[in-house]
Amino acid sequence: MKITDACVCPYPCGDSSVRRMALEAKNLGFDRLVAADTPSGEFYGIEVCTGIIIWSTPLKDLINRVKRERNSEAVVSVEAGDNGFNRAVISLKGVHIIRGIQSAEKTAFDHVAAKMAADNRVAIDLDLSLLLSGWGITRQRAMHRFRDVLTLEQRFEFPLTISSYAHSIMDMRAVREITGLCSLMGMDIPDVEKAFFGVDIITASPDPAVKVIR
Amino acid sequence: MSTRPPTLREKHRYLLVSVEPAGTTINQKDLYYTISDATTSLWGDVMAAVIMPAVVAAEGRYMVIRCRRGTERELAIALSTITTCRDVRIALRLVAASGTIESLRERIRTVKTPITEDSVPSECTFEKTVFQIHQCDGQKVDVIEKGFKNTNRLFLTREDLEEL
Repeated sequence: MKITDACVCPYPCGDSSVRRMALEAKNLGFDRLVAADTPSGEFYGIEVCTGIIIWSTPLKDLINRVKRERNSEAVVSVEAGDNGFNRAVISLKGVHIIRGIQSAEKTAFDHVAAKMAADNRVAIDLDLSLLLSGWGITRQRAMHRFRDVLTLEQRFEFPLTISSYAHSIMDMRAVREITGLCSLMGMDIPDVEKAFFGVDIITASPDPAVKVIR
Repeated sequence: MSTRPPTLREKHRYLLVSVEPAGTTINQKDLYYTISDATTSLWGDVMAAVIMPAVVAAEGRYMVIRCRRGTERELAIALSTITTCRDVRIALRLVAASGTIESLRERIRTVKTPITEDSVPSECTFEKTVFQIHQCDGQKVDVIEKGFKNTNRLFLTREDLEEL
């Protein structure tokens, strides 16, 4: 199990190279980064996984894109949309993470979607960038939405991931700081640890439905 | 006015933070206002009055921030929400917490690493663009595009430069 930042955006999306982000992540206490549109590798002892973020596209295009990435090692994240879209995305094989739930509409993620996420082992991402850079009502709304997600998580036990969505090394935060920020939403240390290990849970091969006993 | 006896004085704790990116010069007063704003925004006026943050010392890139004893956690969370100081992008990295400023000064002396600029050229090219090296600290190299059009800072490593 590795402490993972589930989404960072290195150069050219951001202003820091993937090596520099890995170096910073090492100093901040991480073991792994999921870097958007970056080849996987290992830098300064930090494992860097390829991440693919799919923004709101028509569902047909999204299905084709997910199919193309199904055999790759990449961690596939899809930006949350309305409730119907999210339910359809969760049921797709090959989708690992639903992100941006804090910016989606209030009813985007309900108990039915939560049950589906738990069954299909699709994680919901807690994107902390709004808590860090947001102010006033924006931050309050994000915290409220995360609290709602956490209530559903306690009931249905779907995986969670934590991401900084950092475009620069200055947007990255230490593990201890993230633990502090998550405590604002009522998460205790074991909950935060579980969320840090969320990428391990969603990328592990699923238990077979049928067990062959000889 | 006579000073209060030690038992009646307010107990303080001091946090040592380093300002990122390296080489950023920040006025102590500006940082105080930034921290005060961040604390009030996150915790509200009531809690900010309990925390009572203050910038008490600065040594190079390190700053010592005072708070009331028992509120270190709240102040540390508030510090992590700081992204700019007077329109300059910064990040505050918490290094240590202590009961005395002197022990933090001792800590600064132990964590200070020498800046090695000797073996790095003043210019480099990255992605077919010429950059000026702005700051070099160990493996970390900060560059700014040469010219007057784009003054954005890029954060690279020595290995990124070797690939050119």
